[in-house]
Amino acid sequence: MDQPAPTPPPVPAAASASSSAVPSFQRDLWRWCEEQMGRREFLLKGGWAFFWLFLGGWLLSNLRFLFPNVLYEPTLAFKAGKPEDYPMGISEKWKKTQRAWVVRTDQGFYCFWARCTHLGCTPNWFEAEGRFKCPCHGSNFNKSGDVIAGPAPKPLWRCAVQLADDGQLLIDKARLENRPGPREQGEFFLPYQNA
Amino acid sequence: MADQPNASLMQTVKKTKLWKSIFRHDFTDTPRTRLQRIFGNVFLHLHPVRTAKDAIRVTYTWGLGGLSFLLFLILVVTGILLMFYYRPASSLAYQDIKDLTFVVTLGGLLRNMHRWGAHLMVVVVILHMVRVFLTGAYKPPREYNWVIGVLLLVMTLFLSYTGYLLPWDQLALWAVTVGAQMAANSPLLGNEGPFRLPFITTSNDARFGLIGGTVIGDATLIRFYVLHCMAVPFLFTIFLCVHLWRVRKDSFSKQTGEKVDVWPHLVSREFLASLLVMVILFVWSMVMQAPLEAEANLNVTPNPSKAPWYFLGLQELLVYFDPWIAGVVLPTLIVVGLMAIPYIDINPKGVGSWAKMGKKKLGPFSLPYPEERPFAVSVFMLGTIMWFVLIFIGVYCRGPNWEWYWPGEVWSYRRLTKLTLVNIPNLWGGLLLASYFLLGSPIPQQVKMVLAQKGGPKAPGLASAALHVGLGMAISVALFVSLLISKNPGYPALSRYPTLFEALGRSTNAPVMSALYGLVQSVGPGVGYTAIGLMIVLVGLGLGGLGVAFGTFKDRMYETLGPVKYAIVIGLLLMMMGVLGKIALRLLFGVKYLISLPMFNLNI
Repeated sequence: MDQPAPTPPPVPAAASASSSAVPSFQRDLWRWCEEQMGRREFLLKGGWAFFWLFLGGWLLSNLRFLFPNVLYEPTLAFKAGKPEDYPMGISEKWKKTQRAWVVRTDQGFYCFWARCTHLGCTPNWFEAEGRFKCPCHGSNFNKSGDVIAGPAPKPLWRCAVQLADDGQLLIDKARLENRPGPREQGEFFLPYQNA
Repeated sequence: MADQPNASLMQTVKKTKLWKSIFRHDFTDTPRTRLQRIFGNVFLHLHPVRTAKDAIRVTYTWGLGGLSFLLFLILVVTGILLMFYYRPASSLAYQDIKDLTFVVTLGGLLRNMHRWGAHLMVVVVILHMVRVFLTGAYKPPREYNWVIGVLLLVMTLFLSYTGYLLPWDQLALWAVTVGAQMAANSPLLGNEGPFRLPFITTSNDARFGLIGGTVIGDATLIRFYVLHCMAVPFLFTIFLCVHLWRVRKDSFSKQTGEKVDVWPHLVSREFLASLLVMVILFVWSMVMQAPLEAEANLNVTPNPSKAPWYFLGLQELLVYFDPWIAGVVLPTLIVVGLMAIPYIDINPKGVGSWAKMGKKKLGPFSLPYPEERPFAVSVFMLGTIMWFVLIFIGVYCRGPNWEWYWPGEVWSYRRLTKLTLVNIPNLWGGLLLASYFLLGSPIPQQVKMVLAQKGGPKAPGLASAALHVGLGMAISVALFVSLLISKNPGYPALSRYPTLFEALGRSTNAPVMSALYGLVQSVGPGVGYTAIGLMIVLVGLGLGGLGVAFGTFKDRMYETLGPVKYAIVIGLLLMMMGVLGKIALRLLFGVKYLISLPMFNLNI
């Protein structure tokens, strides 16, 4: 019953005569393949390989299933009132509703996203010390958002600020910048002459 | 029947097919029924029929494994009941929990039992692990089951974590914010992690996958609900079955002495222990309300914001390390390190009994000392104690703005602080780290022989002394000299002090540097810097001396373990001690990073 490897059918004389048409290295390769793995073994291993590949691939592909394509999330832009209504310094007006601080300086306006760059808690502003302090792991930031103590790796993010047509500040928390230099220009800083 | 009018009704009933199919055997206390009770009952058949008397002694296991299982069952039952009233939507969840607590009959008790039961389960599971370690019960043939046990511990903690988001209160929200942000800091796959892959953004990174969006909301709540109520309990049950089945297959670690019947000797102990724990849990749940903070507010964080106690060790670690290290690398190393224990601990001694303690003379002191497994027991206990010290700091020493307050000290939300942290310049920091990890290098036998041949019998000892003292001095110099001589890169924008020494000396969170700075100020630079120089040399010699003292031990360990196991053991050990060292650097020297490469988000 258990035959080791099926012997190939005898090659007809005519075929063997014409076999000179097949280059010899191809015949060698074929023979080598058959020696490595017979037809049955090939089919068996191939079948199992396909089974496991399919099962594993399907299971893994479900990882992609966990990443939604459509998000139902609130917009990150909001209107923050007239620029002239802000006093000098850091305004906490929008912290509890929009998680942002609007800052008015001698030159103009900028806006912090009130989210610690360490692990995402909301820091608190301590006017007397001129520091933002985070309640979760103790990061401290100064008035320009730079880290002065604690584990936070980078400065606070600043949001894009522009003037809407109705004269209100329009703040977009989706466009962020925190590198010294770029964060003081362009859309991240609104000088008085534009306000 | 007619000739026995008063033949007890009970006997008639007992002869019915119905009775026989349910109860199957009679209950007179005979050796035969003792056997039948165990293997005729699906719930008891995981027990052996007879077991060693010593193995079921209460003071050997304290019943901790069984109690973990009991608590899991209690949590399943109370959890299923709570699910009848709870709706996982951000607008409903908090109100449902309020209803459960205050309106639903017995709802408060169920919720308390579920919460406190979870706390108790974490305690019991950790104690179970410590017990198994100290009685050497993980040694062959039980290595595999130890690994399963570690997975069960991880899942226990993950179940707790996913569970406390569900009430949708402030604790929940901020714990999940922090946890999700840790995912965003994972190497390669996190948007803010080191070596982020080029295609990773906020809307496809690990954090996004965890919370189902870019901000925490309904998608997050339903995810955690499914994980907490379905996915993780499902996996947990599978691993629990494997764990219990392997206990049975590998048999108990203690197999000496007289054997006794499991029914009633073990079963009664299990019953009494369960009863005791259930009484404790009931009383605890009737007396203590499970905490419920204000409803979740995505904009306002409570100050201070503390995780439940079992995660405060991790939260405290996050203060000292960058999130990718504290939140991803260290937990992974702890879990992998725990799993590796039975495979790297090849000492066959100490199985089946608590670690035997001897006395070791150390000068005038006589220290208790685990005789059979000195290294394994010391390192494991040191790690466990360190973890609980971190938890203690998190619970009792952290106040508003996560600043240090001593236990009992009155918290002040307006306390003025002068916290300053500085980075050691990268090259010095690199030297410090490299020297530290090189302290773990052994001097193999062959090298010693070559040295002895070339330089006489004293050469190997001298080489070891030179190596260790050199590395010790390098560490000391890299730490102190860098802080003493470096300019402050934050001057003048971030700090008004031009040197690191002055900045740290005037801050409130670097006691060692403040003391040195005070010294230089009070006795003048000449005397002051000479004294500091002497101290640097002494610290270097001390560290080197410690290395020399452990030199022979390291070499012997290298010979017994071979290079691969030795590298794993010494690597894990050095990293564990390194965590301690980094915490000391942060708390005593005000050092933030040893190496900082912001362009790769890589900070160590």
